[in-house]
Amino acid sequence: MNTPRTTLYRDKHNAKLLGVCSGIADYTGVNAIWIRLGLIAATISMGWPLLAYIVMGVLLNKKPPHLYSADPKEDQYWQRVRQNPKRTAREIRAQMKDVDRRLASVESFYVSSNPRLTSEIERLR
Amino acid sequence: MEELIAIPIIVIGLPWLILHYVTRWKTAATITTDDESLLEDLYSLAKRLDERMDTVERLVASDNADFKPARIQHDKEVDNLPLRELEELLAEKKGERS
Repeated sequence: MNTPRTTLYRDKHNAKLLGVCSGIADYTGVNAIWIRLGLIAATISMGWPLLAYIVMGVLLNKKPPHLYSADPKEDQYWQRVRQNPKRTAREIRAQMKDVDRRLASVESFYVSSNPRLTSEIERLR
Repeated sequence: MEELIAIPIIVIGLPWLILHYVTRWKTAATITTDDESLLEDLYSLAKRLDERMDTVERLVASDNADFKPARIQHDKEVDNLPLRELEELLAEKKGERS
């Protein structure tokens, strides 16, 4: 399976050490500081999360440069896709319906009032 | 005696647990490559359509004063964001002048 948008990466661009925490933050949409604090707290209390961090740092790939987008909305969109793709599909349908409705209102405005025809009639008078 | 319990737990139990959840996770993630490219297309398409519709509405409104673009949600985050930036810029300018 090859799904570049929904894979967990190491986000080396926003990294502090290996980029595991920033990668998880980028994947889930949770602010990286909370994940880092959680990791530090878990490491102090249990110890093994540090090992897990290093293993993930070795195993995970770096985020490919073409997946970085200038628009933060796009990142947000993909985070929502990862959480629930069905909800995203419903949202897209709602957006399309919204555009359809607006287009219909423009169309009905031109059909019912027909401003060009009335101006032509005005000119002929 | 304790080693007899501890070693099998670490050698067999732990990888079993991890692999069990890895397979669970792999089967749960049902989004495929096709779905992903479809979602990517839909995202850009919806965005473009929305922007075009905005342009068309603005053109019609500038030609005909009595046309009011109907909005179901009057304050959408998408539309509010540029306005907020504009307000910030205006506030900055005001601060410079005074």
